[in-house]
Amino acid sequence: MIEAGRRGQSSYQSAASGHWSLGRIAASLDDQFFRLAAAPAFIVVAAVTLVPVLIALALSFTAYSSTNPRVAFIGLQNYVTAASDVQLRGVLWNTVVFAGTAVVLESALGLGLALLLRRSFKGVGIFRTIYLVPLMVASIASATAWRVLLNTSSGWVNYFLSLAHLPQPDWLASREWAMPSVILADMWTGAPVVAILLLAGLLGVAVEPAEQARVDGANPWQVFWYITFPAIRPVFAFAVLFRVVDLFRQFPLFQIMTGGGPGLNTTVLNYYVYQNTFQFGKLGYGAALAVVLVLMMAIPLVILFRLARSSD
Amino acid sequence: MPSLTRAWNRHGWDVVSVVLLLIGLVYLLLPLVWVALTAFKIPIDAFASPPKFISPLTLDNFKVLLTGPFLGDLGHSAVVTVLATGVAIVLGAPAGYAFARTRVPGQGLITGWLVASYITPAIVFIIPLYIMFSRLGLLNNFFGLTLAYETGLLPFTIWMMRSYFADIPRELDEAAWVDGASKVRAFVAIILPVAWPGVTTVAILVALAAWGEYFGALILSGPATVTAPVAIFTYVGILTANWSVMAAGGILVVLPMLIATMFVQRGLIRGLTVGAIK
Repeated sequence: MIEAGRRGQSSYQSAASGHWSLGRIAASLDDQFFRLAAAPAFIVVAAVTLVPVLIALALSFTAYSSTNPRVAFIGLQNYVTAASDVQLRGVLWNTVVFAGTAVVLESALGLGLALLLRRSFKGVGIFRTIYLVPLMVASIASATAWRVLLNTSSGWVNYFLSLAHLPQPDWLASREWAMPSVILADMWTGAPVVAILLLAGLLGVAVEPAEQARVDGANPWQVFWYITFPAIRPVFAFAVLFRVVDLFRQFPLFQIMTGGGPGLNTTVLNYYVYQNTFQFGKLGYGAALAVVLVLMMAIPLVILFRLARSSD
Repeated sequence: MPSLTRAWNRHGWDVVSVVLLLIGLVYLLLPLVWVALTAFKIPIDAFASPPKFISPLTLDNFKVLLTGPFLGDLGHSAVVTVLATGVAIVLGAPAGYAFARTRVPGQGLITGWLVASYITPAIVFIIPLYIMFSRLGLLNNFFGLTLAYETGLLPFTIWMMRSYFADIPRELDEAAWVDGASKVRAFVAIILPVAWPGVTTVAILVALAAWGEYFGALILSGPATVTAPVAIFTYVGILTANWSVMAAGGILVVLPMLIATMFVQRGLIRGLTVGAIK
């Protein structure tokens, strides 16, 4: 790069003399610098995203499978199958329940947490640092830890419940508790993520308007609702947006904690696509389901993006 | 009375805050403490019922991992992390600069595509990549794995770098150009050094994501390339219920991440939102 830079510099003299030379070529290349700087990255992005997406789309119109890996077009058959797939309806519902519940809980808890961490008491810095930790823990590690913590025989959670003489549910294998368990594990990272984002927003908000409102007799709730929250609303909308994205693609928690079970109780769409594609080998059908996943995600994302933008 | 209210306002809420934060800490620390304690237990104690909290400490779990194939898997993770981060930064930083400085035709479309490919669930890319790679012989291959990682990491890098370069005043470029520097030289000698803290921050964030990546490696890696997170699932612990070794593996994966993150605390927030919020 530095070599190229030197050549580029000397090119100004030779370009002026009007002769074609290496320097002149370098100069005209330099004029195109921004295009040339961007091109390699965009070629790679296109190769690893655009091409695969087009192939996935094409694949969704085929009966491609691991036992019969041939491109045989079957039109809309996979989508017709999906429309009449009884399991898929349950899966879509699970996806809505998981993403919907988790995003509400994580946003609410995260907001509460951010308001606590914004305060300036002694030692708040330690809390701010500790609450960052879940963001740095690889999903595989937290998923395995939660799986064992919620285990019925040697898990800590049920042991503590037994000490308190409380009922000890079969967290991961019962219909009632499997989904709440996964949500609990997701919240472990999700709530701190929201909190850290909102905290950054809150710390950037001027304190004077809130002080003034308090002097004028507003109660804490009014101060929050009319002054503080409007100031961080764009940040809040973005935080929620990024949670929704992550919730729709949550994979390790489902695979490691419940395997989608019991039955299909915790099988969400992302996991269902994985099962159909890589466990049952139905790559064509899996690709069609992946298209459904993208369309399903797009709905909340478009709404949230509009909200984030409109409050700017 | 008013002074009492004032005293409550000053300290009461602080006490309530600390109490609530401590309650939250129990939930937060539960998995961490479990991993930290279990990793040093002898395997039988790790799945004692009822659980044993105090048990003889041992380093055997780490010894088992570091003398077995897991050491190689950590190496695979390191190779993929370095490759993926290198490609992302070398390609993404110049592109981010171009993006911050000029309008290219179809910019809106490109922007939309970058955002879309960053937020699209990995499985959408992994299904076709799996088929492409199986035909091209790129399964169980570091080059293939790196390419697969770039589906998310390169758009992320371009976008983040754009946000850092956009913070640098254009006047700096223009001054360099007026002084006769070529655009390449202005970028390499003037702008890049100014943006260097941003570059390293993005590099660390990309490396963290690559190191902890799970799904892509689960599908596309094989015996010669399996990464540490996948190994934890496949043979270290989950499938064999060997929890103490699994916890030790978890520590070996997470510890480098914790250390690396200390250097990027300030960049973390930008990273979480891909520069949407600064």
